[in-house]
Amino acid sequence: MANEILEEHISNDYKYGFVTDIEADSAPVGLNEDIIKFISHKKNEPEWMLEFRLKAYRYWLTLEEPTWAHVKYPKLDFNNIIYYSAPKQKKTLNSLDEVDPELLKTFEKLGISLEEQKRLSGVESRIAVDAVIDSVSVKTTFKETLAEKGIIFCSFSEAVQEHPELIKKYMGMVVPYTDNFYGALNSAVFTDGSFCYIPKGVRCPMELSTYFRINASGTGQFERTLIVAEEDSYVSYLEGCTAPQRDENQLHAAIVEIVAHKNAEVKYSTVQNWYPGDKEGKGGIFNFVTKRGICLEDDSKISWTQVETGSAVTWKYPSVILKGNNSVGEFYSVAVTNNYQQADTGTKMIHIGKNTKSTIISKGISAGFSNNSYRGLVRIQKGATGARNFSQCDSLLMGDKCGAHTFPYIEIKDKTGVVEHEATTSKIGEDQLFYCKQRGIETEKAIGLIVNGYCKDVLNKLPMEFAVEAQKLLAVSLEGSVG
Amino acid sequence: MITDKLTATHNFLEELAKQAGKAAFMPTNEIGLALQYLEDKGIPNNKHEDYKYCNIEAILRKEFKTIAGKEIDLNIQDWMQKNKCADAYNICVVNGKLSSDPKDFPEGVSIVSINNAPTEHLHNHLAKYAPSNSDALIALNTAYADRGIFLHVTKSFKKPIVIHHINSSEGNLFFNVRNLLVIEKNAEAEITEFYHSSTQKYFTNNLTEVFVGENAHVNHTVIQNAGVASYLVNATKTHQHKQSIYTNSCFTFSGALVRNNLNTAIAAEFSETHLFGLFVTKGNQLVDNHTLVDHLKPNCQSNELYKGIVGGKSTAVFNGQIFVEKDAQKTNAYQSSKNILISDDATVNAKPELEIYANDVKCSHGTSTGKVDENALFYLKARGIGEESARKLLLQAFAHEVIDQLKNETIKERVSELFQESLQD
Repeated sequence: MANEILEEHISNDYKYGFVTDIEADSAPVGLNEDIIKFISHKKNEPEWMLEFRLKAYRYWLTLEEPTWAHVKYPKLDFNNIIYYSAPKQKKTLNSLDEVDPELLKTFEKLGISLEEQKRLSGVESRIAVDAVIDSVSVKTTFKETLAEKGIIFCSFSEAVQEHPELIKKYMGMVVPYTDNFYGALNSAVFTDGSFCYIPKGVRCPMELSTYFRINASGTGQFERTLIVAEEDSYVSYLEGCTAPQRDENQLHAAIVEIVAHKNAEVKYSTVQNWYPGDKEGKGGIFNFVTKRGICLEDDSKISWTQVETGSAVTWKYPSVILKGNNSVGEFYSVAVTNNYQQADTGTKMIHIGKNTKSTIISKGISAGFSNNSYRGLVRIQKGATGARNFSQCDSLLMGDKCGAHTFPYIEIKDKTGVVEHEATTSKIGEDQLFYCKQRGIETEKAIGLIVNGYCKDVLNKLPMEFAVEAQKLLAVSLEGSVG
Repeated sequence: MITDKLTATHNFLEELAKQAGKAAFMPTNEIGLALQYLEDKGIPNNKHEDYKYCNIEAILRKEFKTIAGKEIDLNIQDWMQKNKCADAYNICVVNGKLSSDPKDFPEGVSIVSINNAPTEHLHNHLAKYAPSNSDALIALNTAYADRGIFLHVTKSFKKPIVIHHINSSEGNLFFNVRNLLVIEKNAEAEITEFYHSSTQKYFTNNLTEVFVGENAHVNHTVIQNAGVASYLVNATKTHQHKQSIYTNSCFTFSGALVRNNLNTAIAAEFSETHLFGLFVTKGNQLVDNHTLVDHLKPNCQSNELYKGIVGGKSTAVFNGQIFVEKDAQKTNAYQSSKNILISDDATVNAKPELEIYANDVKCSHGTSTGKVDENALFYLKARGIGEESARKLLLQAFAHEVIDQLKNETIKERVSELFQESLQD
């Protein structure tokens, strides 16, 4: 009996660790100009796109892998990765019936049943989903409903074909291919992703969502998301990630770019739950992501919310460039690391415009043998008069083998700027635990309760559907970390 | 371009080797380590994380292309008459060399040139707290230091020991100064290092290793007012024994470049460390304070407060690291850094860091940067105090939190005066 419970418990650890048996169409292993041409050809891309990729690739060759992050991992062999893997039978799909049933099962397991979405169309509380498996966007729902409002929400490849002028204008605007090592790599080999365009004055009526999943073995996932919000528009965007359990390390190097025009607001939420590796620290995803938004014009706002529970190594700094006057940047983050996970995450807030404001709330939780670092930059440029920043970085330590670190960089060049930074590190209070236990709540549940309370500031910022999932994820991630 | 830089560094090192005097106090194996490190890493520039905002290599390349000049004799008696601190044991160090004869010192304190330090102390402490291959400037010091002092305290003293650092040279000189302070078990000492103003251009690479014995209490105050043409890198590496208390207060008023590397290793239980800092910058000054508190053992406390008033076109940097190692349970560590910008062209770069590997700890840091509080200013103006005076009053109030914690009245008064002067113009 006890064994059964134990079994169940263990298998419960990472419930997304299944592999879907879908025939995949892959590129040969390795990276060179031919592979890039192969990807570009496969996707039937125009000439300028291929040129962009090749430029990025040639630049990438001159770069060295960065080592400044507070993480340790075996050196990656970039020639031992499959850079393109697509589920086979990629025809234009008109209805869900044409989608491979295996694939549909995958999504059902993920809890984002496309069928249901379809059935529910026209009903309240809907989310439009763009699902990306391995390298290719599989299905975008609610496209028609959105199109009525003039909103473009489609896969990146589709956007390259159908809206080349927008892609040409905005791609690389916030994250140029020269930005960093993984950014350059992504620019060279990115395979798909989502594109979202909200026209002037439109408030997107539903949450837009992308689900990313790495499925095939030995592949890397390199997707690119571009969100453009025109004047007076609003959109809330969700991103979720999962991957199967594997012994090897897989690479995920994505780029997310957000452009907010005058008085526009973009809210970007992530629940990142890539496979974190097993209890001995074997396997897991390397999550090296560049996310950045620009408040291009006055009164715009970009808000990042992230719940990071997965990945063996996370290396991610969602940032905001506050260029327009009175623009606002926000960053809310919960990062949980357990076992041998390592996270080095934080944000950059670059104040350029006048009266710009930014808020950073970061909550780190480390357990097991993990290391969790906050690394952030707040820069107030000369001329950014009246800029204001508040940062709070708290760390919670569970167990005596883990580490919690804070590396905030604060650079101020304007005397009217006001910047505050606070950080604390402590463990779960014995008295809080005692209080709960005294009232008949067992230790594990009590910890869940306390951790959820600790993260409340951030979880409150998540859209409803995600908040529930995130709370569950927190509990699962910390299972067995105490006692 | 890169080769240019390399050649420049190489030339600099060669010239330094030519100029350095013969010194026998440093063991040859340490010098070997240091030279190897310099050869591998070179002089740090802004690509090195620790020197991101303080490009030593560029400063040397621009300002100290050649290092030539001579030291000038100084009449110590006259100087002392004018500048000594009342009610204190005064000692003069000219260009890093011990000048006055400390004969009025009581039993239990001895100061000699580091070249004449007893071998057992050198053997026990030298290069132990500042590993020769841990930092380029430490390596530079280890390889080429030919002067410095050795201070040994075995009993308790209330009266402060004031070490006056004076420069008397012309040309472009580069000094490597190595000091060792050993405060033995149960001793109490009040040590003040006072860098006096000079109009000459010179570079001092100062490294002081401090040993704080069991149950010893040390108040270490550093006053840096070395003049607008002086370049100073001042590294203090402290090693604390059981139940000891070490307090470091660092005041920076002038200097073209002041870089403080203050590291404290709390190596035994039930010890306390207090670090205080105040800097007032103007002109084109660069003041860079790097502090590190390394909690190695359980049940220790550290507390840190750094404040800055940053004006002109100056740049102030604060980097405070707190390390809590695996063993160091029950650690309490606090750090706070506050800055006020008073001009349009000033820059503040702050980086408070926490690295924590033990779970039963309470650690926090906070940093804030802003301008003089408008509401407070209005309050004072509403009571008939002019804008300028009101502003000054508020800056004084801001700074005195750091000045007032000084225990010795003589020193406190001196610092207070220097602070007032620094607010002028």
